[in-house]
Amino acid sequence: MEATTMPRSKWFLPGFSAALGLAFLAALWAGGKPRDGLFSLGVMTVVGLLILLGGRSETIRGLRGDGRDERFARLDLVATAIAGNVLIGIVIGACVWEWAHGRDGTPFVQLGAVAGVAYILALGFLRWRS
Amino acid sequence: MKNAIRELRAARSLSQAELAKALQVSRQTINAIETERYTPSLPLALALARYFDSTVEEVFDGGNDDA
Repeated sequence: MEATTMPRSKWFLPGFSAALGLAFLAALWAGGKPRDGLFSLGVMTVVGLLILLGGRSETIRGLRGDGRDERFARLDLVATAIAGNVLIGIVIGACVWEWAHGRDGTPFVQLGAVAGVAYILALGFLRWRS
Repeated sequence: MKNAIRELRAARSLSQAELAKALQVSRQTINAIETERYTPSLPLALALARYFDSTVEEVFDGGNDDA
């Protein structure tokens, strides 16, 4: 029943950050803005390096993965839920704003629908698993 | 949740960092448990009790709900 630690490689988040930077570069390059793409890659690489080489702060170590335990995992979950709720609130507000100005609410309606469906599916799956 | 971790740890002259290392959690997690800011999972509560050769009931005050 050893479930008190849940470390992950300290390279995970820096690697994810760099991969995101490469995806931004590819997208912006394809869209005819290679300079913006290189700038995005640079920013994401610096963020990744800061996380990788960051100090001994619990937050940095937790984000990086090598200082991650069950308490940090719980904090991470709650922080993710808060960020999700903020995002949903903004999407709903933006929908209302768009409708009030005579527009069809795109793309906020679709984003809200995806979030709602994803939530219901996740809830059903987790309920089935538990 | 109220608990006796600080007393048990002090009785063995252990630092928070040493206990944290033994249980593979962060020092901040031990501190959060001692100061009742974090209620550990069942596996961690059992690991703490086993570490101190005690029962969970002896380490944690079950009569006091949510910390």
